This record gives sequence, C-alpha cells and structure tokens, in this order.
Amino acid sequence: MKRETDYGYQIKPVYTPKDIEGFDYQRALGDPGAYPYARGYHETGYRSRMWTQRMTAGLGSSSDANKVLKKYREMGQRGGMQVIHDRVSCSNIDSDHPLGRREAGILGWPGSSLLEFEELMEDIPLTGQSITVLGSSAPSPLRLAYLIVLAEKRGVALSEIHGSVMESPFENYMGQTDVQPLELNLKLFLDVCEYVIRNKIRMRAAIISQHFQESGGNNAQALGVVLSMLKEICGRLIDERGLDFDDVATLPYELVTVGSRFFEEIAKIRALRRMWAKLAREHFKAKKEKSCHLLIAVHTSGRTMTYQQPLNNIARCAIQTLAGAIAGCTALDNATFDNAHAEPSELAARMSLNTQHIVAVETGATDVVDPLAGSYFVELLTDKVEEEGYKMLAKIDELGGMIAAVRKGFITDMLNQEANKKFLEIERKERLVVGVNHLVIPPDEEFEVPIQEVPPDSNAESIARRMEQWKKTRDQAAVRERLSRLHGDAKKGDRFNLMPAIIEAVRVYATAGEISGVIRMARGLSYDPFEMIECPFELHQTACA
Amino acid sequence: MNAGTGIKVIVTMIGLDGHTTGAETVSMILRDAGIEVVYLGCNQTPEMIVDAAVQEDVDIIGISSHAANYDQVIQVVNLLRAKNIGDIPVICGGNIPRSRFGSLKGSGIAEIFPPGSSSEAIVGYIVNNARKAYAAPIPEALRAS
Repeated sequence: MKRETDYGYQIKPVYTPKDIEGFDYQRALGDPGAYPYARGYHETGYRSRMWTQRMTAGLGSSSDANKVLKKYREMGQRGGMQVIHDRVSCSNIDSDHPLGRREAGILGWPGSSLLEFEELMEDIPLTGQSITVLGSSAPSPLRLAYLIVLAEKRGVALSEIHGSVMESPFENYMGQTDVQPLELNLKLFLDVCEYVIRNKIRMRAAIISQHFQESGGNNAQALGVVLSMLKEICGRLIDERGLDFDDVATLPYELVTVGSRFFEEIAKIRALRRMWAKLAREHFKAKKEKSCHLLIAVHTSGRTMTYQQPLNNIARCAIQTLAGAIAGCTALDNATFDNAHAEPSELAARMSLNTQHIVAVETGATDVVDPLAGSYFVELLTDKVEEEGYKMLAKIDELGGMIAAVRKGFITDMLNQEANKKFLEIERKERLVVGVNHLVIPPDEEFEVPIQEVPPDSNAESIARRMEQWKKTRDQAAVRERLSRLHGDAKKGDRFNLMPAIIEAVRVYATAGEISGVIRMARGLSYDPFEMIECPFELHQTACA
Repeated sequence: MNAGTGIKVIVTMIGLDGHTTGAETVSMILRDAGIEVVYLGCNQTPEMIVDAAVQEDVDIIGISSHAANYDQVIQVVNLLRAKNIGDIPVICGGNIPRSRFGSLKGSGIAEIFPPGSSSEAIVGYIVNNARKAYAAPIPEALRAS
C-alpha cells in the first residue's frame, strides 16, 4: 500500500520539529484573521460565523425541485440553497429541443426559462440565505437574469441578495461540460462578472477546482489550476474590462473537493488561503485587506462515494465533513451515500445534512480556530502542497496562462493521466478502498439502498411538452423584439456587455435556447449547437438564416 | 498484453452526459489490451453511435452512462436490430443501480459493468463476446469457462 500523498510526496512515519526547521509563525501562518490567512479570515472562526450547511437539489420538474428545497429547509438547511441544472439547460438548449426532450429533468433542474426559476423558487425566500445555482458555464448570464427579474417582481432589493450563479468557462474541460465554444463562454462569463461588479450585486462567480479533482486531478495540481484560473479571470477583468482588482476580488468563489485523506485535505485548504492572499497582495497589488480573502466552500467528494456497500459512504462523508470543518470552510455541501447510484434520496440527503450538524454541534471541532496549526506534520504538508502547487502554476504560466493551457490540451491530458493513475492504483491495490478492492463482499450480500427516481408524471417528455405549450402563450411580439435587440448587441464585439439585453429578453420569458441561439447567430454560429432546429423567429433587421 | 488484437470497439458517452472520466479510463484499459478503440466522446445520440458502428465496422459497443439516461442506451440496441446488425453486442458501464440491471438486460444490453469492475473482467468479456472471429487466439486466462 502506498504511503504517499496523491501528488507523490512520501509520508514519513513520524514528524518532529526538524521537519519544519525555520518555521516562522507570523510569516507562515499569522493569527486567524491576519495575513497570510493560512489560519482563516475570522479571529474567532465558527464562533463568529458557522459555515453554510447545504445540500444539492435538482431532479424532475421545477416543482419537484421546489418541494425538495422546502424539505431541505425543514431539515435545517437555512443558510443557503444549492441547485444544479440538468444536462439540457447546462447546454443552453430548451427541454422541447429534440435532445432536450430525452433528458430534461433527469440529472438536475430543467432551468431553461424564467418560468422554471419562478416555479423552483415558489415560497422560497431570495434573502436571508445564499442562492447558489450552478451546473455549467454557458447558462451563467441567464441565471443572473432570472434572479434579477424575480427580485424585481417580488419587490426585493437586489442588494439584499447574495449567492453564486456564475461559473467559469474552464469547467468545460474538467467534466462539467456544455457545448458552447470556449471563446463564447469566456465572453459571456466576463460580461456577467463585469455586470455584477459594476452594479454592486453580491453574486459570486464559481472559479472552482471541484470538477478538476472529481475528474481525477491531485491536490497540488488543483492548487496550481485554481490559482491559474483566478489569475486569468481577474487579469482579464482588469485588463479588458477596466475594473479595479479590489472590486474584482469580491467575485471569486472557490469550491474545493475534500476526500478522505484527512490531513492532506486540511493542508490543501490552508495552503490555498495563503496562496490566494499572496497572489492578491503581490501580483495584483491589492489595496484592501478584504481582497486577500477567498471564499472557500467545500464539497465532500462524490468520487469517493463507492457503489459497493453504500452505507460505508456515511463514514467517509463524516471524515470528509470533519476535515472541511477543521480546515475552516465558508460553506459545505455533501456528496450522499447513494451518490454512485442516483441523485440523493430524501434519506441520503437527511443523513448528509445531519452529518454536518453532528460535526458542528457534537464534536467540539468548531470551538477552536484552525486546531491543527503547529502540528509538525500538518505544517509540513501545507508547505509541500503549496510548493508543488506553485510548480503547476509556473508550468501553466509558461504555457501562456490557463486559457492557453486549455487550448493546448494540457489540462485534459493531465486529467486523463491522473485519472488513469488513480484507477491503476486501486486495481493494483496500491490504494485500498473498503468494499471495492479490500474486504469485498459478494453481490448477493449487498443490500439495496432506496433510489431516488424521477417522479413518473414529470418525465423528460412531459417537461418538454409543457415547455412547448407554454412557449405559445407568451407575448410573441415582445419576445421577437427583445431577441432582435440582443442579436444586434451581440454583433457589437466581445467587449460590448450583453447582460442588459439578456435581462430584457428573460423578462418577457425568452428561453435559454432562444437567447443563446441569437447570440450564436450573431457570431456566425448555428442557432442550435446541435444543428437540429432553426431559429423560430424572424429577427428585425437581420434575417434569421 | 495483446488479448484483444483484432477487435474493434466503440467507446462512447450517450446523450448530454459529460462525466467522461470512466469512458476515457476504459479506453486506456482496452488499448493496453491491444483492442482498437474508436472513442466518440460527448454529445452522441443513439443514431450517431449506430452510424459510427456501421462506418467503423466495429465488433462491440461500450457505452458509459452516468446520467440515468438508460432509455437512450436501449435505443441503441433497437436501432442496431432495425439495421440487422443486432449481433453487435452493446455493453454498458457507469453508476447504474443494480435494480435496473434486469430491465436493461431484458431490453438487449449484453452486459453491465458497475463502478469497481476490474480491467480483467471488462477485457475478458470483450474478448469472449465481440462479434466476429479475430486474429489472436484467446489466452487461457481470459477464455470463458
């Protein structure tokens, strides 16, 4: 069995003061609340603010997802909600698209119109909790527009709403795919980020390493990749959109995957805080102290949730949740014990949320900030993962930054190699996983866990048919007029911000497929990314062809 | 290892599923076993997969499913049968609940490899069940008992 970190550092049987010789507390860690923030941003940690405890929702129709969100609130999820798009709306096509009607609502929320968002949020407050809706990069501007329009309709001040609805274009290369070209996703992502910053909207942009790690990437690579992503996006918002770093720094939201290698995961998060603080201060010349703080949420690893003996996953989830808590996260969402089988059942979701509540109130882990500080082992691991992370950052810098690295295939190649390495490690029993390659039981001794099925009356076809019917009831002239304006704006170059025109189109219930379609056309692309349907509107000025 | 020399297989995602890690790892395993892999990647409809199977004249089709879109996998089997090439076995891997195995196999899916399946099991199945005879003899270790 290997005794090494996932990035190949050989772990010794014992650590002593010699391993951290020259360790300078103030320089390496600082007190909690002080630069370089390795120990966290709050002097009193969770005593001043408990992490946001939440679960992912999204399956079946919007009304189905709404019921789940309400159920989660009953289970004690009050600080924030998190919804994931289905595969259809992730690609900015509608549920009545020929491909949409095959899988609308199957693996997430079918969020391709304001109508769906209104149903999703029925009787759920927009304020007093963080609103997180993610899934892929392409729908980012739509999600923000849904939120803005719904807030207006409810008479809620936009300044009262916070959360995260934007997702970086890099997720596309880390297993969170949509079908939009990189250039278009990047342009729209910068548009939505610029819009949020200029209008002082408290919405965060997910620039996250979660998918990178869930697709196989190791801890050190993840640090290098996330720093590269942050550097690229912040740099572009400053250089191309004329924004100030201290405003841009309010934007990023980092979701870190935490697996079962307890100490290494804690070290990674401590290192990340320190690396961001240095990037902010030294590279971007931050003027505000707050700009050195990176919002870090934790996702306990779905990848580690085994198909075999799913109840074992409850133990894994608890260990990972404790690691996330000790590392000092801002929010935490769990993979569930049935993760390798289906979307979370009510039982599995309750189990995961309760795991968080148990860690929060029963273990004492939340009484003290950064309790592992000063451990020879943990400080050494923090330094090591940081050192290796910086090597990856330097390599990506050499390639010309994150976008260049993506275009050169560097990121996908690296992920493939790592995923293959991890598979072989398990197959060769170099890493043991109980129930998978260690202490395996025969399939007939396995027992079935309850599987969450899509409710029969809201299958993909019925979601599609509803969308088809509903489209006919809209004010067609208004939809056409707003889409024509958007089409015109989309021809005005990459730096012309499309958010105002997108918000106006969403307001009259233009759909994801339509909005994305006319933007694509203005850029010389086909209306439909799959080239199966034509633009249903005659756009003003420019013919739809 | 060259147990699979002469066999040609499609490995593909189906529908809008983007969880490619499994498909890419399986492609590596199969190539290491000497099998020729045509990897189609994401956003493949059942129609596209069957067209590719005809064009590439493959011996077996492997579909990676992590998005609960089983209906589309069954659709592949039905389309192959309609084209009179139903003898190309369709196998499937991914996070498919055991409770679904019966209905999927009943619909013509030849075999299902859930997470944790070994390279040996996957390669062995393909070597023994791919559509046509091929150059290399089946090694003793992989021969069906």
